[in-house]
Amino acid sequence: MTLSSPCRGYSRGFVLIALIAVLSSLAVLLWPVAKRSGVEFWVFATFHYPFYRAPVAQWNREHPERPVELSLQPLPALETRLLSALRTGAPVADMMEVERVIAAEMFIGPLDAVGFVDLTERLRAGGWLERFNEPSFSPWTSRGRIFGLPHDVHPVLLAYRADLVEAAGIDVARIETWEDFARELAPLMAERGPDGRPLRYLLNFWPAQIEQTEIFLLQAGGGFFDEHDRPALVTEVNVRVLAQLAAWCAGPSRIATDAADVTALGNRIRLEGGVVCSPMADWMSGLWRHDLPGLAGKMKLMPLPAWERGGRRTSVHGGTGLVISSNSDDVGSAFELALRLYTSPELSDAMFRETGIIGALREQWSRPVYDEPNSYFSGQAVGRLYIEQAPQVPRRSSSPYTVEARRGYCIALRQLVDWAETHHTYDRPALEQRARELLEGVQADLVRRVERNVYLREGGQR
Amino acid sequence: MRRPREYDTLARVCLHVLLVTISLFMLLPFAWMVGASLKSGQDVFASVFLPSGDGWLGVAWSRLSADNFVRLFRGAGFGRAMLYSTFYASVTAVGGTLGASLCGYALAKFSFCGRRLLTAVVLGAVLVPGPLLFAPGYQVLYRLGLMDSYAGLILPALVPAVGVFLFRQAMIHGVPDELLDAARIDGAGEVRIFFSIVMPMIRPMLGAFLLITFLGAWNNFIGPQVVLQRPEIFPLTTTLTNLRGSQYQDWGLVMAGTLVSILPMMGLFLLLQRDFIQGLTAGAVKH
Repeated sequence: MTLSSPCRGYSRGFVLIALIAVLSSLAVLLWPVAKRSGVEFWVFATFHYPFYRAPVAQWNREHPERPVELSLQPLPALETRLLSALRTGAPVADMMEVERVIAAEMFIGPLDAVGFVDLTERLRAGGWLERFNEPSFSPWTSRGRIFGLPHDVHPVLLAYRADLVEAAGIDVARIETWEDFARELAPLMAERGPDGRPLRYLLNFWPAQIEQTEIFLLQAGGGFFDEHDRPALVTEVNVRVLAQLAAWCAGPSRIATDAADVTALGNRIRLEGGVVCSPMADWMSGLWRHDLPGLAGKMKLMPLPAWERGGRRTSVHGGTGLVISSNSDDVGSAFELALRLYTSPELSDAMFRETGIIGALREQWSRPVYDEPNSYFSGQAVGRLYIEQAPQVPRRSSSPYTVEARRGYCIALRQLVDWAETHHTYDRPALEQRARELLEGVQADLVRRVERNVYLREGGQR
Repeated sequence: MRRPREYDTLARVCLHVLLVTISLFMLLPFAWMVGASLKSGQDVFASVFLPSGDGWLGVAWSRLSADNFVRLFRGAGFGRAMLYSTFYASVTAVGGTLGASLCGYALAKFSFCGRRLLTAVVLGAVLVPGPLLFAPGYQVLYRLGLMDSYAGLILPALVPAVGVFLFRQAMIHGVPDELLDAARIDGAGEVRIFFSIVMPMIRPMLGAFLLITFLGAWNNFIGPQVVLQRPEIFPLTTTLTNLRGSQYQDWGLVMAGTLVSILPMMGLFLLLQRDFIQGLTAGAVKH
């Protein structure tokens, strides 16, 4: 019998893959990876991870008996594992940084099954509730209990192409409301292409941009839920905002275009000057410095135009917080490390310089780092501009139905834009009437979903 | 009436021009990816494919570098991820193919109590959507102590229901009972009959299923991200996701990683395409 005889009759592919299987198994056996022990700490933000390595190493030197194992996990993995663990009772890491929408999904059941440690009393006892920016707790609060420590505030300003605006002789100081915005910047849309369309639009916004839609809605004082987390989509503010957003995207008063964030096409439009202004959270300002170096020195920031005179000039976009798993057997240490990371002035300074993120601890807002001029934004003190608006960031609901609600609102917006284009109807009363009808449909659907949840029904808070 | 030869040639040229044009369009994203993997962060969006400059063809050749690939293997742990992907995909493919073919053979060629019920269970399992099994699967793996290990990924994939059913069908139609009886009369044992007679007879099916399973495991993203927890043992799919920041994107690095992760599959497919296509078209033509 020859050596090749066992392979006779099998395809080359089968033999090759079988050989690869044997060789790679040997390689994996010979190259083992040590198992982890101690307190596990997962983070998903690639921006945060490098900043935590040194403090965690320092912590481990001080606590060699129970070291903290810091690891970077993909956001979808974190979400899937958290939800699977919630439904099966399996353990996850001791402490985790989670995104606010994911945290909200964990609030779907009774309070004692949230899966995170209730930090309310610890925060109250340490006086942290007053020291952190109060609205920043809202995404981590369910039925009056706080389950997370907020990492950030994420106020939103309006970033604009200062080179284009100033070359056109426009003074942004004259802009206070969105109405002023459309009027004052209108000359920038005068230039037309061969097809008669403007070569440039004023605002980066489109109905498909769910997060941007929420930014505008929250800024106007709207929202998807009332203070008791009951669906509240059909309100005067929500209707008015929906009609205005549709008017920005359709018809003769269109000023918006789709230059979605963190996309190749969106970045190209920004670089080519196809859009003048974008709502920009603090973290996004750091992102642009990395992704769009070609705009360095051409950008400036200003407060968002208000929905009415004297109204709010900011909004909020995104949010990360630190939660402690209810399976953790050392909640005290985990909480102590969490506070150390989120209250360290050095860490906060370093993170702001690299990422543009403002921490949620208010006493740090007076630090000089926030007054440093930023050459990307034409020498403006970007940190100070964000901090001036930080106390006014709107509260957000932590309802587990947030994802459904904002999806429903965006679908209504798309339908409204289609309706306006189809019927060539762009006048405000007609748009508002149609917006109300569409939101009533979304509201009914959302109420049906929420009503199925016995834990969140009125009187059913457990 | 025969068409003139010139007419045929012209039609063929037109067809090829059309096909080449479509192919070029389809290759555009790939070309962008290759270009981005060789560019610095500053150049990624400044030009479409290659950075423009004063060099030959108006390209700044000096600004192209393999820096992203070096960072990939030095800092991002891509070498180890590649090994784990190769291990996971090859062991799953070989194990899954063997497991499915053995079960398919048993259901196709042996009479035993409960065979019909078992076949119905296999068919039923095919109908259950994968996402429905995440939470219970997670719990089972946790209770068996298989979390954060490749055993937790490979073991559930060793007897895929779809594979069992496909092999059963292939063996019912492609392996005559008379041949098996003749082998038994000649004194061959069941193991020898399976590996020396049955498997070579379903060779096209074997090749195609193997490649599909390999591809499925290589590209599996959800399984590893749920089961594995230590980044040190992540395969390419999850390592690649880690390169994508939640906010800041290092496009050059991500594109280099994407390129590196698809090249082995492209090579394997080119090498085994004959087996693959034979397997897919087996039974399509009646002999």
